[in-house]
Amino acid sequence: MAAHSTAHRTYSFKVVLLGEGCVGKTSLVLRYCENKFNDKHITTLQASFLTKKLNITGKRVNLAIWDTAGQERFHALGPIYYRDSNGAILVYDVTDEDSFQKVKNWVKELRKMLGNDICLCIVGNKIDLEKERHVSVEDAEAYAESVGAKNYHTSAKLNKGIEELFLDLCKRMMETAQVEERTKGNGTSHTSTGRRGVQIIDDEPQAAAAAGGCCSSG
Amino acid sequence: MSSSTARRGIYVDQAALLCNKGCGFYGNLAWGGLCSKCWRVENPNSRAKQIEEDQKLAERLQREEEAAYAGINQGAQSGNLSTSLSKPEAKRNTQKSHPVPSGKNFFSTLAKTKSRDVNVPSQPPPTSTSINQQPVAESDQATRQFIDFLKTLHKPGRDIFKQCHAFCHSVAYKKDLGAEDLSESVQDFYQHLSERLNSLFKGSPERVEAIMDEVEKYITLQLYEQAFCPESADDEAKDLTIQKRIRALHWVTVQMLGAPVKQEIPAVSDSLDKAITDIIEMDSKRVPRDKLAYVTRCSKDIFRAIKYSNKDAASADDFLPVLIYVVLRANPPRLQSNIQYITRFCNPRRLMSGEDGYYFTNLCCAIAFIEKLDAQSLNLSTEEFELYMSDHVSPDRPQARGCSYPSSSSSQSDPRAGRLENDLIEWGDGMEASVQDVLKELHLDSCTPSTSAIDSDNIESEGLPPPLQPQVFAG
Repeated sequence: MAAHSTAHRTYSFKVVLLGEGCVGKTSLVLRYCENKFNDKHITTLQASFLTKKLNITGKRVNLAIWDTAGQERFHALGPIYYRDSNGAILVYDVTDEDSFQKVKNWVKELRKMLGNDICLCIVGNKIDLEKERHVSVEDAEAYAESVGAKNYHTSAKLNKGIEELFLDLCKRMMETAQVEERTKGNGTSHTSTGRRGVQIIDDEPQAAAAAGGCCSSG
Repeated sequence: MSSSTARRGIYVDQAALLCNKGCGFYGNLAWGGLCSKCWRVENPNSRAKQIEEDQKLAERLQREEEAAYAGINQGAQSGNLSTSLSKPEAKRNTQKSHPVPSGKNFFSTLAKTKSRDVNVPSQPPPTSTSINQQPVAESDQATRQFIDFLKTLHKPGRDIFKQCHAFCHSVAYKKDLGAEDLSESVQDFYQHLSERLNSLFKGSPERVEAIMDEVEKYITLQLYEQAFCPESADDEAKDLTIQKRIRALHWVTVQMLGAPVKQEIPAVSDSLDKAITDIIEMDSKRVPRDKLAYVTRCSKDIFRAIKYSNKDAASADDFLPVLIYVVLRANPPRLQSNIQYITRFCNPRRLMSGEDGYYFTNLCCAIAFIEKLDAQSLNLSTEEFELYMSDHVSPDRPQARGCSYPSSSSSQSDPRAGRLENDLIEWGDGMEASVQDVLKELHLDSCTPSTSAIDSDNIESEGLPPPLQPQVFAG
């Protein structure tokens, strides 16, 4: 209903990458932005701040991906990084149960600090090491659903699931932005519809809306 | 050649150089071959004439200057605004650039008041000249650049300038405005203006961004004195706290932080030095965007250092520890003031999403880490940490961490160097304290005799006649 006002605008999203030290955050984002893995020819000097321009159903999206320091000693600095971000990608290593626990901590913290305004993606990386898997798919999926996030399986090495992860995240962030805009944009005359629109998202955990979007796209 | 001409000069007849009147002094061609005394006797009116000519010249220069100003401003704004802005600034400019009152300066200001009366009799000069106590030249130049930039926008440009100018004036009057309130009103203004611009230049957000950058530059330069490290906030105290804290942490090494840089490689240490210089340099800039640019430069230097240490594509895991190390080494001046200033007055979109914003956020993280740093965050035992913090023991860097240079001489000399460093720091602190004490005393002393005359304690001068009173002469 507010399509006409948003048709030509450019979306700018800030996405933070969270996760323990060796789960492959950097490889993931380098694979996505440069399509390279453990390559000597990586042109960028750094993989801590990367941008990507997308075109999703005719709408321009600028993605800024903020890497965060994953060492335990920097954990307390999290809020400075994820302030004002639209999305968070929480990466764990499927062969490392500990890293999944860390993700759970992050989710708790993010929901507490930012509420439902942020789109969460829980990403199990290194699925090429399926034999050494220590985090079961069912556990991860169930957990993700329980916190209104979505679980993804990726392999930066084999370039699996990464494109889908980012595309899906962008679509969800766009939905959130549109809902926000509608509630903001609607004046006093449309408050009732605007409120109802929010309530649908608020009452059902975000997963419901997100899952719907994902199924229809995939 | 030169020696021959010099010799030829000597052959000039002495008589030719002397005053034509034969008074014995040397003459001057400009005075018709007379000496200055004889010239004055011969031409009693020349002095008056000279003064008159000087005045005429000053007036002409003044008129030209003002014409140039009007030319600049006409394109960008309405007439009233241009005169009200350019006049006092031009005036202050000339006054500041000639602090020593000279005859010429006197005439030029005289001419200025005259010409203002002639040109704009209905426009009284604005009463507020306190809007910028900063070096006028810079803000003046900024204003001119801003106007030049807005010229390219034609009519909207005029409107933008009017708004910015009015805003700066309104804020400058509110001296008691707290730092946060000032920030809020500036941010409100940015928001308001960018919304208007967005509706004006539909479909070209890049253009709006460019305009907003210029607006930010203009406004922050105008309000710098008021906005940077304001008295109402405790920025200065925080500056000192973090400075002390960083000084106390001088013993922290790359290894303790887990920073992946190999300092023994010359290219790496060069890059780190550059990074340190850049983060210090941040303080010298006045516009938030320029300050941010230095943070970004520093970050790029760090990435280079990491790259030279044989790591490819540095991640945040690598970057943040090195940044913390650089901040510890640099101990940048007025660090918290700069951070606060940027946070309060920078365009929020740049801080929140851009590359500059990312590096700035990392800098904030580095500072937060340094503030809260404890034994655990350096992988030290509590006892070790306490020992280092209390300055009783300097860490034997190479030995304890078992890296870079294993030569025995350096491991022996290092603690001594550390102790000397500590002594130096303690001495510095002591000096600071004693200087503060002396200043306090001085302050008390200087308050009491402020009313007495300069020569009150000069006993010998008692027999002298009373000082001459200034007399006013008409004309």
